Amino acid sequence: MIENVWLIPAFPLAAFLIDGLFGRRWLHKWTGIIASTAVGLSALVAIGVFLEVLGGRARTTVTLYEWIGVGDFHSSVAALVDPLSSVMLLVVTVVSFLIFVYSNAYMEHDHGFHRFFTWLSLFVFAMLILVMADNYLLMFVGWEGVGLCSYLLIGFWFERPEPYVAAKKAFVMNRIGDWGYTIGMITTFLVFGSVQFTDVFEHVGIATQANLTLICVAFFFGATGKSAQLPLYSWLPDAMEGPTPVSALIHAATMVTAGVYLVARSMPLFAAAGPSLAVVGIVGAVTAIFAATIALVQFDIKRVMAYSTVSQLGYMFLALGVGAPVAAIFHLATHAFFKALLFLGSGSVIHGLGGEQDMRKMGGLRRKLPVTYWTMLLAGGALAALPPLAGFWSKDEIVAAAFLGGYPVLWAVGILTAVLTAFYVTRAMWLTFHGEPRDHHLYDHAHESPAVMTLPLMALAVGTVVLGIAIGFPPEAGFIHRFLGPVVEVEGLVEHAPEAATILLLAGISVAAGVLGILVGLSMYVRHRPDPAAVSRAAGPLYRLLVNKYFVDELYDHRIVELFRAAFGAMWAFDVHVIDGLANRLGWLAATGGSSLRRAQTGIVGNYALTIVAGLLLVLVVYGGYAAGIFTR
Amino acid sequence: MVVPLGAFIAVSAVLFFIGTAGVLVRRNAVVILMSVELMLNATNLALVAFSRRFSSIDERGSVFVVFIFVVAAAEVAVGLAIVLSAYRNKPTVDVDEIRQLRG
Amino acid sequence: MFDLIEPALFALLTIAIVAAGAGVVLANRITTSALLMAFTFLNIAGMFVLLGAETVAMFQVLIYVGAITVLILYGVMFTPQSPRPYGLFFQTQKYWAALFVVPIAIFVALVAFSFRDSATVGAKGGDLLPLATSVFRDFAFPFEVASVLLLAAMVGAIVLVKRDED
Repeated sequence: MIENVWLIPAFPLAAFLIDGLFGRRWLHKWTGIIASTAVGLSALVAIGVFLEVLGGRARTTVTLYEWIGVGDFHSSVAALVDPLSSVMLLVVTVVSFLIFVYSNAYMEHDHGFHRFFTWLSLFVFAMLILVMADNYLLMFVGWEGVGLCSYLLIGFWFERPEPYVAAKKAFVMNRIGDWGYTIGMITTFLVFGSVQFTDVFEHVGIATQANLTLICVAFFFGATGKSAQLPLYSWLPDAMEGPTPVSALIHAATMVTAGVYLVARSMPLFAAAGPSLAVVGIVGAVTAIFAATIALVQFDIKRVMAYSTVSQLGYMFLALGVGAPVAAIFHLATHAFFKALLFLGSGSVIHGLGGEQDMRKMGGLRRKLPVTYWTMLLAGGALAALPPLAGFWSKDEIVAAAFLGGYPVLWAVGILTAVLTAFYVTRAMWLTFHGEPRDHHLYDHAHESPAVMTLPLMALAVGTVVLGIAIGFPPEAGFIHRFLGPVVEVEGLVEHAPEAATILLLAGISVAAGVLGILVGLSMYVRHRPDPAAVSRAAGPLYRLLVNKYFVDELYDHRIVELFRAAFGAMWAFDVHVIDGLANRLGWLAATGGSSLRRAQTGIVGNYALTIVAGLLLVLVVYGGYAAGIFTR
Repeated sequence: MVVPLGAFIAVSAVLFFIGTAGVLVRRNAVVILMSVELMLNATNLALVAFSRRFSSIDERGSVFVVFIFVVAAAEVAVGLAIVLSAYRNKPTVDVDEIRQLRG
Repeated sequence: MFDLIEPALFALLTIAIVAAGAGVVLANRITTSALLMAFTFLNIAGMFVLLGAETVAMFQVLIYVGAITVLILYGVMFTPQSPRPYGLFFQTQKYWAALFVVPIAIFVALVAFSFRDSATVGAKGGDLLPLATSVFRDFAFPFEVASVLLLAAMVGAIVLVKRDED
């Protein structure tokens, strides 16, 4: 099956082509079925590949063809099949499949139905290329591809201005990050002579600390763009303008995890360049708590989930930074499931309310949307890291690694963020599903979603419950550690085998943090002790700061964007005056030169004869000069 | 006393440049043609002078002169034909006034 | 005393040639120019005789004085000009022309005296035999081509002058 690994991206590519070429006129509703089937087939092949790798197959490279061979630079279209990539393939294909099925019903009445599945299939193709690539250049192809599809899908409803503005913002911020990736890739080639993973990682020793740090920081900058960390995060909340399945797939489960995958894959480089891991960890931790604080006060249910995603991605980078890459991938996998579930559930709510996203207008919906409610409850619990749900196992491992690795400050930040996370998810659930309905008109018309939407919810819920225990238990010694450890863990990075007591204590603190958050949330919203409205009034300026997302967007706009606008104005002036001026001057020169020289054409033959005689005089002067010795050869 | 060769050449030169001056200075096209004939004659004189003085070595200068006669005659005929047809167009032979080809 | 005949004739002919030539260029009336041109041709023929090239002199008289002068006179006859002041006889570029021509003329005339005669004296006797031998034996082909040239010139001249008959 591993030899056929290229079938995995081939199916979505075929779906993209078929849907793209024929979808509008002939296929209509079949576009969704074709796309979903394609991804389903990919998922089956991915399962097969995973089982083969599980069965002990060593790391394999399956080359499709030699792509670029110029001088010293070589890059092939080849897939690297090892535990890390097979896990990623599995996660991407399975979650994508469930979301595709869901979308068939969610997007049913949209007149851009075929376009949706075209771009979504292309996205899956690009993401698979990203995950399967065996060198940085091919990975970049997938990297860019997902960025493109993100742009296309965020701006899917381009008739309204907000989506396409958000799409532009997402693409531009991604692009800024891509600049970092490119620098990293080029430096890698210059230092190592190759961009292939195996070549680079085996020869880490030949690079200087400075080079390695540059490469790693550059790559991480690219990761901040793609995975929405500080400073390039603000596109993700705006990306909620896209359809909810897009938010679930691209901005929760797959594309945004590309940055995490990049760093995890490049762990040999990061581990060798000392300070860069610290940068990763600190940025991750700060982003986590930063985003969580904003999520506390948002009213749009999708915005809450978006900031939650930024925060959880911060956890993953924190894990990478403290030297626990297995925990990062573990959390990536569990997060894919429960966050996708949260998004799809939100989508179900929005669909049931005919498009309403503001939680202030919701309330008491658990009676009307039971399946949605129960599945989202499980997902929310996983997000708050309650055992035995999946989120607990992965998040606990991250904060434990922070503590055991000797970073108590980061551990504290992680715990504090966990409290905030539990609080805001409780708040979101309560405002949506409990209490008295605040808008009776909406409430009356609310209805549960069809089976095509609820079945994926239930499937994801199963994953949310089971996945953590299945692959991560016992902590540090579960299946996933044995499976991924040899691939991503580097010598001397993680403290080994602490005592059971320490582990239990740390776990207990994590659980307590989550429970604390939930209790505070319930207290505030059920019993109004303290009353949320009173708290926000009391917090006054702090509250305004949070609601306005720390005014980051305004800051970027005024400081950075205006700066660029001025620079572009200067460039435009340069172009018009200097460059166009040069061209105009040359033209003027030609014209004037021509009209001056034209005066030699008098039309009077005598003048021409005179010119001949003048030439004769010149010839005589020259030859006479040579003959007389005045000119010498 | 023999007239030196250089004298003949000097006469030829003077006549040649008188002819050139005539071409460049006169307005009447027919006079210009006359001046051209003067120039041709000057070259004939020079050629014959060389040919005869060096006749023990090479007599071909005179032969060339015969051919120059031919060409000169042809040229005068055609030149006058042109002048006449131009005159028919616009009744002037003033070369300063014929400048339709002015660029 | 007979030795001085040649230089004397030469001097006479020179003066006549230069004066007549100048007259061609500077004369008031065109017919004066034409006749002075014919006179120049005659004097050139004299020069040819002085050099010992009688055949060429004969040709000169026949062709130049005979045919070409007549042609020129025909041309003069068919292109009458309205009378105008003498100043307008000269092109507007006369000063430039003088500037270019005079230096060259002086220079070349001075240089001309640097040509030396050959060491061996030229052949005595006429030039008829050598000329005939050359033209009809060594240069027979150019001779034929020259006749074709004359034919072409004749045809061309006729075509040029022909009026377009309707």
